[in-house]
Amino acid sequence: MLRIAVARSAGLEQGLRLGLRRQWQQPARSWTLIRGYADDRPADKTVLPGVPGAQTGTIAGVPQAPIEATATHNPTQTNLSPNEPPKPPPTPPTPTEVKSNAPAPSTNTGNLPPTGTGTAKTGPSSAPPPKKRRRFRSFLLTLIILSALGYAGGVYYSLVNDNFHDFFTEYVPFGEDAVAYFEEREYRRRFPAREIQGRTWPQTRGENKVTIARQSGVNPRVADENDNAGADLAQKGRHTSAVQENKAKPAESKKEEKPEVTHKLTPKKDEKTVTTPSEPKPTPPAASLVDNQNIAEGQERAVQELVKLVNNVITAVNASPEAPKYANTIASAKSDLDKVIAEIKIMRDQTAQEADTQIKNAHLEFDTAAKELVRRLESEMREQETRWREEYEQERERLSTSYQQKLSAELDAAKKVLESKNQNALLEQEISLQKKFMDSVKAKVEEERSGRLSKLDELSSNVEELEKLTSQWNEVVDTTLQTQHLQVALEALRAKLQESDHPTPFINELVALKEVSKNDEVVSAAIASINPAAYQRGVPSAASIIDRFRRVATEVRKASLLPEDAGVASHAASAVLSRLMFQKKSDRGLPEGEDVEATLARTEVLLEEGDLDAAAREMNGLKGWAGVLSRDWVTECRRVLEVRQAVDVIATEARLKSLLVD
Amino acid sequence: MADKNTSTAPAVAPPTRPNRPLSEALLNEKWDHCLSTLLIRSTLGASFGVIFSVLLFKRRSWPVWAGLGFGAGRAWEECDSSFKRATAPSRDGLRVLRP
Repeated sequence: MLRIAVARSAGLEQGLRLGLRRQWQQPARSWTLIRGYADDRPADKTVLPGVPGAQTGTIAGVPQAPIEATATHNPTQTNLSPNEPPKPPPTPPTPTEVKSNAPAPSTNTGNLPPTGTGTAKTGPSSAPPPKKRRRFRSFLLTLIILSALGYAGGVYYSLVNDNFHDFFTEYVPFGEDAVAYFEEREYRRRFPAREIQGRTWPQTRGENKVTIARQSGVNPRVADENDNAGADLAQKGRHTSAVQENKAKPAESKKEEKPEVTHKLTPKKDEKTVTTPSEPKPTPPAASLVDNQNIAEGQERAVQELVKLVNNVITAVNASPEAPKYANTIASAKSDLDKVIAEIKIMRDQTAQEADTQIKNAHLEFDTAAKELVRRLESEMREQETRWREEYEQERERLSTSYQQKLSAELDAAKKVLESKNQNALLEQEISLQKKFMDSVKAKVEEERSGRLSKLDELSSNVEELEKLTSQWNEVVDTTLQTQHLQVALEALRAKLQESDHPTPFINELVALKEVSKNDEVVSAAIASINPAAYQRGVPSAASIIDRFRRVATEVRKASLLPEDAGVASHAASAVLSRLMFQKKSDRGLPEGEDVEATLARTEVLLEEGDLDAAAREMNGLKGWAGVLSRDWVTECRRVLEVRQAVDVIATEARLKSLLVD
Repeated sequence: MADKNTSTAPAVAPPTRPNRPLSEALLNEKWDHCLSTLLIRSTLGASFGVIFSVLLFKRRSWPVWAGLGFGAGRAWEECDSSFKRATAPSRDGLRVLRP
């Protein structure tokens, strides 16, 4: 852009400076050309978009027609100004010049705002229009090719690199789809079989699809009554009413009639067949049959057999045609039959009598046998009774003897126990008697002894009392010695504290004091109250404290004028101005007030008087920088005061002890 | 007890703290530090000014003065903050224990 601007400014300079021309331009013509265009511009306005703008307007779609059209000093656009006077044909530019001018009137010139006031401000577009179009086309082509290449490269690289894949799919339009397509292809190439089986198999086979019609299946329908009459018994019909005539009967009755006819026919035939044998009866029977019911002795079985036999014969004779011939014989046979029956009766009676006699004989035999049996049983029972009685007697004797033996044994045992008890009682009595005897002897001996040895006891008690007395006196002596030691140790400590000019440690003295005091509570508490740094490093004397106070006082005085939150300037001012201040003197009494000067003066007086405690209190009241500066001195004073207090406490304790001794 | 420990070793010198000055010498020490920093900073600033004036500003004198002023100003600021911080106890390294 800078370059373009420079080029444009150069072009503008060219336009202004008439002397500087391109070698193929004529100076006078160009000037008139510029002016002429500036004058004629309103007239041209309507013409401009038509002819040359059609060529330039295709460039980048930007409406640049006026600016492009203003490049009137371009010699190639001769048709821009029609009212321009005819001019000689310009010499064509050399190819090198065309190339050098090419960048300046490029498509970007239209985007720039007009810079100068003059109308001849635009850069010359020296490139010919067809060439420009071709260049644009080639530029577009290269752009497309490049972008396609870049897209393809991006797709490929996103297949390779995961990070680039994320970037590409997220930011490049349609990048995700493209990459996904290639990935899908890769996947199919790698797993073809599974792909076919899994997804596309049922579709590619093209088998007949089963389509289910709309009307298929179960659909509701109003039930028809005439459809299946009689199937449903719950329906209303003739079977529910008893009055209604059965319409289905005729068919059934016809069926039933046929077997009736046949049944009726068959018995008729039978009757005919039955009746036929009775027809041939020309001959009368020779004799009537013997009535087996009314015959005598009809109950007898042999008689019945006989009658049957005779009847058979009669029937046989009757059947034969010569029946009348045998009528006599049959009658004799009948009489014989009666005789036989009578004989049978006689025989039966005889056998009955015989049986009665036999039964009587049997009764007699049975009676005798029973009597014999009873007699034998009685004798056996008698024998058994006598045997049992003997056994009972024997058993009773045996039991009585055993019981007597047991009784005698128990009596013996009881006797033995009694004897032993008696012996024990006797032994006890003997022992008690012996004890009593021993006691009496001992008592008598003791009586004798106490009478003589009582004086010895008195002597020993006297000796004990004497020992107690001596020990008490020993204690008194010890305590006095102890108090004396305590006093001595205390004096040593005091001397150590006072004698030295510079601080010296006094640990040894304190140790001695503690040992001498035998762990006295007061003394150990007082020693514990001393700061360890004090007895390790020592305590400064009063003179050194005063000396140090003088040094501290000068420093404090320097910082006496400082405000609360002082910086460098106030510090410097305070250091300078504090030298100009008058010091408060304490010649005529102590000065009053809270200011630093007054405090310092009071402290000095108190120190000179020896009141270290009050001096430390005064200095402790300082605040701010003064307090900070005097802090170390105050702590030192406090340490000294602690030591003094502890020593005082120990001294009073020692005095108290020495008082308690007497 | 401390005295028992010291009774076993009475000759041991007490631990001295050389880094902690006496309280009355506190201000003097600060002043010493301030003056030295002032000197060093202003010298550094002035030398930078000299270098710049030679290199860039055709040996004019104002860069030297400006550098000197920068150095002195830095030293002043540092000194000021040190004086201001001194009265209040430092809170560096302190922690508050919450339950």
